[in-house]
Amino acid sequence: MFTASIYIIACSLRNRLRVRLRRLREPRYLLGAIAGIAYFYFTVFNRFARTGNARITREGRQVPPVGPQGVLQAGGPIMGLALLVLAALAWLLPATSTLLEFTEPEVQFLFPAPVSRRALLVYRIVRSQVALLFGALISGIFVPATTIAPRLRFAAGIWVLFVTIRVYFAGVTLARARLTSASGAARRVAWTPVVVILGAAGVVGTALTRAFLTQPMGNAREVFTGFSAALTTGMAGTILLPFTMLTRPLLTSGTEYVTALVASAAIMVAATLWLVRSDAAFPETAIASAERRAERKAKGGAATPTARATGWTLAASGSAEGVFLWKNAMQMVRNPRGITLFRYVVPLVLTVVAMSAAMMSGNRARGGAAVFCLMAVGIAGFATLLGPQVVRTDLRDDLRHLEVLKTWPLRPAAVIRGEMLWNGLLITGVAWTAVICAAIFSAAAFPQLSMLWRSSLSLTALLLAPALVFGQLTVHNATAVLFPAWIPLGNARPRGLDMMGQRLLLLAGVLITLAIFMLPGAIVGGVLWFAFSRFIGAAVLVPGAAICLGIVAIEVLAITEVLGPAYERLDLTGIERPE
Amino acid sequence: MAISVDHFGRTYSTATGTFTAVDDLSFEVASGEIVGLIGPNGAGKTTTLRSLAGILRPTSGKVRVDAHDLVDDPLEAKRRLAFMPDEPHLFEYLTVEEHLRLVARLYGVDDFDRRAGALLDELELRGKEKSLPGELSRGMRQKVVIACGLVRNATTLLFDEPLTGLDPIGIRRMRETIVARAKAGAAILLSSHLLHLVQEVCTRVIIMDHGKKIADGTFEELASRADLATAGSSLEQIFLRVTGHN
Repeated sequence: MFTASIYIIACSLRNRLRVRLRRLREPRYLLGAIAGIAYFYFTVFNRFARTGNARITREGRQVPPVGPQGVLQAGGPIMGLALLVLAALAWLLPATSTLLEFTEPEVQFLFPAPVSRRALLVYRIVRSQVALLFGALISGIFVPATTIAPRLRFAAGIWVLFVTIRVYFAGVTLARARLTSASGAARRVAWTPVVVILGAAGVVGTALTRAFLTQPMGNAREVFTGFSAALTTGMAGTILLPFTMLTRPLLTSGTEYVTALVASAAIMVAATLWLVRSDAAFPETAIASAERRAERKAKGGAATPTARATGWTLAASGSAEGVFLWKNAMQMVRNPRGITLFRYVVPLVLTVVAMSAAMMSGNRARGGAAVFCLMAVGIAGFATLLGPQVVRTDLRDDLRHLEVLKTWPLRPAAVIRGEMLWNGLLITGVAWTAVICAAIFSAAAFPQLSMLWRSSLSLTALLLAPALVFGQLTVHNATAVLFPAWIPLGNARPRGLDMMGQRLLLLAGVLITLAIFMLPGAIVGGVLWFAFSRFIGAAVLVPGAAICLGIVAIEVLAITEVLGPAYERLDLTGIERPE
Repeated sequence: MAISVDHFGRTYSTATGTFTAVDDLSFEVASGEIVGLIGPNGAGKTTTLRSLAGILRPTSGKVRVDAHDLVDDPLEAKRRLAFMPDEPHLFEYLTVEEHLRLVARLYGVDDFDRRAGALLDELELRGKEKSLPGELSRGMRQKVVIACGLVRNATTLLFDEPLTGLDPIGIRRMRETIVARAKAGAAILLSSHLLHLVQEVCTRVIIMDHGKKIADGTFEELASRADLATAGSSLEQIFLRVTGHN
């Protein structure tokens, strides 16, 4: 089975590489690859060239490059604690290890084959090494060092850590399935690690609490050293030993490194043995994982929706845009991720607003209100500038339903506008809420600005937010119509250097187009500012923004109309999608 | 004519060049007629149906639905069309009832409740109104697609492998439904590899191979053709002879 595993891995790697090289014949992949390589070079390798050279002080002294080792050395016990928390959470959270997610072909070919369950587990462990080794090498590249040896040392250490975590999570997934086993003996065996890990977490938690209560910690450094001391001594130190041993290869060098690597590798082997011996529940768990994976793939990576009642029934008549508004709203509300947004983010925002308002009214903690104001400005900026990039419930997502949409008797312009409507209203709503919050608390954050300036800026932001949001959405949806091959279908996130480059090029294109889009409105606003600002001051920003919004609205209408013929010609059948 | 296809052609651009899926295809389907579109894999049947449905734009020729050109007057043509694809593409976050309501709104169906209720019964979807597609079997999803096609007064129905995934009862119901719609005056174009179904329900057959029409006529007309006279008595035997596999 081991040779078969190697054969599958080698063939898959070779063919994947071949496909990726072959697709470079298409200009979009070639351009993407060039952009990706350039980005990688300038952000990673070029930076190493700089950090690799010793810095020279003004006095001419050489300063050795600053590495993370110093920080990591002191943070070893903290990292061990983080691993312990992770190990405990693995039992509490219902997540399933991806190590057990066999692909459909793997289930079809390997499960009926005369291969033992343990051999299948070993196969999955071997199969996962490609991604883990790649991740470890990338992590090693980021170690600022003048030679390659420290990077390789770090990569080997982090690889052992990655494998151990992966294997442990898979073991937890299998053991979790036996927690409710009919056999009492099997149940006891399954519950033992749960009790041990939770007990260990309890002991370490008690030691930390005691350290915190007995020795007051005034600043972050004291907290850091106090916790480190508590985590390296007594029972807590002993319990954390296996976890800190896993992190030791990342923090040491020389002969100490070799010893640390051997020790961490021993823990990795122990975890692997535990996994392969926990194979009783393996087939059911693996098949369930494979089915979930296939289901996710069929839905383009989207989460499984739930048929919750919304109280919003589509009216029997009305505009075509209204149909899409309703459809996309249902998609977001019924998507588990979408409802999470409403369920958690909205109460969180309301809580923060209420707390800040209370602080403001008490006038004892004006700083809190100022911080909240700045946070609100940040949220408004993020929603306006990046919201349309992140929230894709429009034609970008609906390209996978294009065959259905194209059979509908609707004007293409109405389809494109309708697809953008829900997204635009939602993001604008978030931005407006944030702007209003910022406006309410702006006196605390910007005391140097007059009331006129603050209110003018707030009104301007309220007017410009929909212009920027709908402007960007128009560019994104126009890209989906004109260059559908550049748009990933559904929630798919294709990998590869060329795909990363494509995303960068697309983002640059969107930003440039948006700048052109906003230019007429900005020019008119600028003219108004120079003509009237000396007479009415900051208030002139408001009519300028209103005119800008009007111009963008006309542009959106015109562009969606112009896109009509392109939408009619839109055909996804000839497009080669990345794997 | 309800459907009029005139010198229709469709080519695809691929990484290695262009590929002609359908070449110079012409045929007509009258109201009340059920025409079977058959052919081996890759013959161009699905491309033809998808072009008739307005999904693909013809590279050459004309496609008209009730005299409305699909390229020049797409909205009027699409209002008269209902396309039931072989793969049920549904919105995963809309329930069965919401799918029907969506289609009713798009096509301006007046008596939605009555028509939707009748269809739910006819296609045995009653009780599944509040289900999402993800909660339905493949066959049930196929029925939802068909219900969406039938909930409106389409004069032209395009079926691509309508029986895929259906159980024996569903297959029987579907056959009856297709025949009933034709009797009510709809023009039906049906693509299927199930030749016994085609022979049973279709009034005429078009055989395609390598993107071209190689035979067109009623079953009797095909059977009496000089080159097919010795082929045999079933559509399967005729099909094999025409496509050169006999």
